[in-house]
Amino acid sequence: MALNSGLQVDEAALIRAAQAGDQDAFEQLVRVYDQSVLRLAMNLLRSPEDARDVYQEAFLRVYRNLDKFRFDCSFHTWLYRIVTNLCLDQMRRRKVRREEPAALTTTEGPLDRLDSVPEQRVDGDPQRHMFSGQVRQKIKEVLEGLTARERMVFELRHYEGHRLKRIGEILGTSEEAAKNCLFRATQKMRAALGDFV
Amino acid sequence: MNHAITCLEARAQLDLLLYGELSFDEEDRVETHLESCPECRAALEREKALHAAFDGVAIDPAPSLLRECRADLAARLSQEERAPKPHIGWWDRFTHMLTGGPGVMLRPMGAMALVALGFFGARITNTGSLAGMSEAGMARVRDVRPASDGRVQITVDETRQRVVSGGLDEQPIRELLMEAIRDPNDPGLRADSVDLLNTRAQSADVRDALVYTLQHDQNHGVRFKAMEGLKAFAHEPEVRSALSETLLSDTDPGIRTQAIDLLIQGSGENVDRQVIGTLQQLMLREENDGVRQRCQRLLASFNASPGIY
Repeated sequence: MALNSGLQVDEAALIRAAQAGDQDAFEQLVRVYDQSVLRLAMNLLRSPEDARDVYQEAFLRVYRNLDKFRFDCSFHTWLYRIVTNLCLDQMRRRKVRREEPAALTTTEGPLDRLDSVPEQRVDGDPQRHMFSGQVRQKIKEVLEGLTARERMVFELRHYEGHRLKRIGEILGTSEEAAKNCLFRATQKMRAALGDFV
Repeated sequence: MNHAITCLEARAQLDLLLYGELSFDEEDRVETHLESCPECRAALEREKALHAAFDGVAIDPAPSLLRECRADLAARLSQEERAPKPHIGWWDRFTHMLTGGPGVMLRPMGAMALVALGFFGARITNTGSLAGMSEAGMARVRDVRPASDGRVQITVDETRQRVVSGGLDEQPIRELLMEAIRDPNDPGLRADSVDLLNTRAQSADVRDALVYTLQHDQNHGVRFKAMEGLKAFAHEPEVRSALSETLLSDTDPGIRTQAIDLLIQGSGENVDRQVIGTLQQLMLREENDGVRQRCQRLLASFNASPGIY
């Protein structure tokens, strides 16, 4: 997400004001980014509760440490570093606990959270609808099978639209390493979805 | 130089081509290859379909979730602000330097410095900690709290936040509270400040501040509190004038009703003619049935007509 220079100037002013204790400036700063932070957390964790926790913890950390922000990197990169670390921790914890984060327990058995999300790009054709449902299920399985870092790079590149260079900065790695991660992720997904797409 | 690439090399780069992550030369090589290779063009179409399928599972969080997140965060930030933070002030750093540092030689010097500081400090304590606090542009009041001993604790944002405390009869404290009631961002802060100032409404400057709040505050709860503070001074000309104006202009019917009560309190049958005029003016514009009826009954009890002739 490239910011134009005007926004960058405004953002620097907002950051400085927030660092000086201006609550309104901090709130404005939150509102510039919070929608995409929540979307990233939601897509990575597939759980509104976990996404909510990450949202809150991320902005609290920003609030508590804003005075240490020295403009060595962009605010966006700094914020996303915090968010991605929180998400990675959560994803790794899940792997350890072998949770099924995308499933909800209901009286009718487990329900995939993705199933409650309105489908996009599906017309009224029942056959296409069923096929689309199978693809979605398969994509979900493949996404769950990716390593935490592959998943993160894929989300940041595909859904959030970040450049690989910035993803490398956010994750504290090189652009080349981020590119390799993306390559591995899409290769796994291509292999798993080859028959469906 | 632009050398040709194989199908294997081209296909390995289709993803990056779609993501726009290839360099100019790399993109040029892949596209040149695609022009002459129908199999790789078909592979590119499959890759596009795969990307479209990925798009289909993206979740946009519900607006209600975003609202809840924002509300949670605001609540947590408010707690953070109110929580006392461990703070090492200049005094702590100074005394630590004198007493805890490794330089033994510093200690006698430190003792002398403390004596000197005690001498000069005696001249600035009491009011010294508050001096200049309410000068325009220097501070913003963040929080006010009554303490059990009748004093007031006020949190002030300057370049950094600090806490000052003092009695309500101390002018700097009162000035900070009067500044706080004009803070446009925090109605809770304004309400707390008005509560505290209400106990000192006998002072003309405090009354002026309460009148200002009654006439200008955007929050009806804060205006109502200010009116409570002015209750005992409803006979004062400037307060009566403010109450009349409030009666004719305030958007809250509860506040208008309270303004009527204060304007007529203690007047018995000898009500001020100006008040009757104000009530008659109100009858011309009042849209709230309750306020209208009250106004009408009062005018009748004063043997005044409900309209102006």
